[in-house]
Amino acid sequence: MDVPFFVRPLSGLLLLLAAQFVFAETETPPQSLQSLFSKMSRASQTINYQGSFTYEIQSSAVLQGFRISHWVVDGVEHERLLYLNGAEREIVRHGQALDCYSPGDQLLRGNLNHIGNKLIGLDEFYQFQIRYTERVAGRTATVLQVVPRDAYRHGYILSVDQETGLILKSLMVDSTGRLLERYQFLELNLAPDVKAMESAPPAERQHVASTQIGACSPTQSGQPQNWSLAWVPPGFVFAGQQKVRESTDMLMYTDGLTTFSVFIEPVSVNPPEGAGQRGSTVVYLAKLMNDNQMHRLTVVGEIPAAAAEQIADGVKYHGGDTE
Amino acid sequence: MTQQTNSHPLAESISALADNQASELELQRILKASESDPEVSATWSRYQVASAAIRGDLPTLELSDFAARVSAAIDKEETYAVVSEPVTQKSTGWWQNLGRFAVAASVAGGVVLFAQNFNGISETAPAIAATSQAEVQSVAAAQTPAVSLPASLPAGYHAQPLMARAVGLQSGYEPRQSESRQVVFVPRQTGSQVTSQMSGEEVRDYLNQLIEDHADNAALNSGQGMLPFARVVLTEED
Repeated sequence: MDVPFFVRPLSGLLLLLAAQFVFAETETPPQSLQSLFSKMSRASQTINYQGSFTYEIQSSAVLQGFRISHWVVDGVEHERLLYLNGAEREIVRHGQALDCYSPGDQLLRGNLNHIGNKLIGLDEFYQFQIRYTERVAGRTATVLQVVPRDAYRHGYILSVDQETGLILKSLMVDSTGRLLERYQFLELNLAPDVKAMESAPPAERQHVASTQIGACSPTQSGQPQNWSLAWVPPGFVFAGQQKVRESTDMLMYTDGLTTFSVFIEPVSVNPPEGAGQRGSTVVYLAKLMNDNQMHRLTVVGEIPAAAAEQIADGVKYHGGDTE
Repeated sequence: MTQQTNSHPLAESISALADNQASELELQRILKASESDPEVSATWSRYQVASAAIRGDLPTLELSDFAARVSAAIDKEETYAVVSEPVTQKSTGWWQNLGRFAVAASVAGGVVLFAQNFNGISETAPAIAATSQAEVQSVAAAQTPAVSLPASLPAGYHAQPLMARAVGLQSGYEPRQSESRQVVFVPRQTGSQVTSQMSGEEVRDYLNQLIEDHADNAALNSGQGMLPFARVVLTEED
């Protein structure tokens, strides 16, 4: 018995569809990624939620538990991150205005895509693939594989909640495929009691995190004051500058997914030089001479160590007045 | 079943035993032979697999040699151990060894490595250094894996660490959990005689503070909300 004539083209189509699944190595089209990123960058900011997650790093067998609370009142974000293990500690962050997008958010949203005159997009630096769906924290998530195209950043495997865009699980992977860190939500409540979150008593030790460093919703990347970086990994833009610990200049950079910070502090004694690491974070310490003033220069970021060293090598003083 | 030329003389008896049909005498011969002839137990194992496959409960059987396969996997892993030979002094050597230091320190229960100055590394570095893979493999092969490798690192450092780590966990019991998340810092080697006046403790505290400050940046600019703060080890002063 012959196959009915109309089935043949259909089976060809099915074959084609099957082939697409087999060769799913092709990259995900930018449009769908852009919407995923936009959702991702805003989800953690606009919705109220409370959940707990675990965090672990590659070099340690310790699993650390956290409870995160996030709520928005009058267009302003409030966040609280409570350590569930060890001493009772928390980090709180208040006052980030919802209509203010950080440079990193702008990069993720595709609204900050000029470095100088060059048009850039995140997909120039990472290859993105939507891989499959999985269940995390009792919810359905889309697994997004993020592979860097150069040696200056790490890769990610992100499980993005399909309903809200919240990242339910995040693995950071280095170029050898080694896992550097892992976050994973255990449970998530999208209708938390805001009053209860507001009135929760503070933990024994509380650290208040800064908000609003750098420009609000920039469309062009700026430049740091007093200092210049001869080299940053391609795709990284200047995200802001602030003074920390009185005399330390902190310069911030982001490529939308990954950040590094450069700290420069005048010192009178020889600073230590060398490199360090904790989990996904590397630090690189160097000495910087400017006229006769010695500075301690530190690069901190979730970037490969060689990139941190190369960044540090290019830091120069250019003087605030001589601009 | 006709006996094949390359099969064991006791194969038929073993087969009978596997089917619970062996006589007392055959059993005695098999047990005696198994003490000296490894082929007997290998044949026994093959027949067990075959009969389990017929019964359809292979997965249960596979579990029985799970331990052996885990140890084989561990033997293949790149491992590091403590040796006392000096490391070669190359300008990039300290840097390449950084990751190894990091893991070595965590296994030691959160020991943080420090050298007081640039030149100090030559005294401290030889204490912990990576051995060649072959060297460690021979050590690992001689021991029962997983439980008795105190000097080695968690398996799978270069492979699938979090999956394989449970195996290596026994070597990394950490009574002081918080310590294990400290920064591991390795001073740079230079020809210079200049020394830093900061103590190891000070450097560590300083770096912890900078990582904390950096988390502000990461939390604002990496699209993951406050999650990057999980990387911060809050210091006592907070």
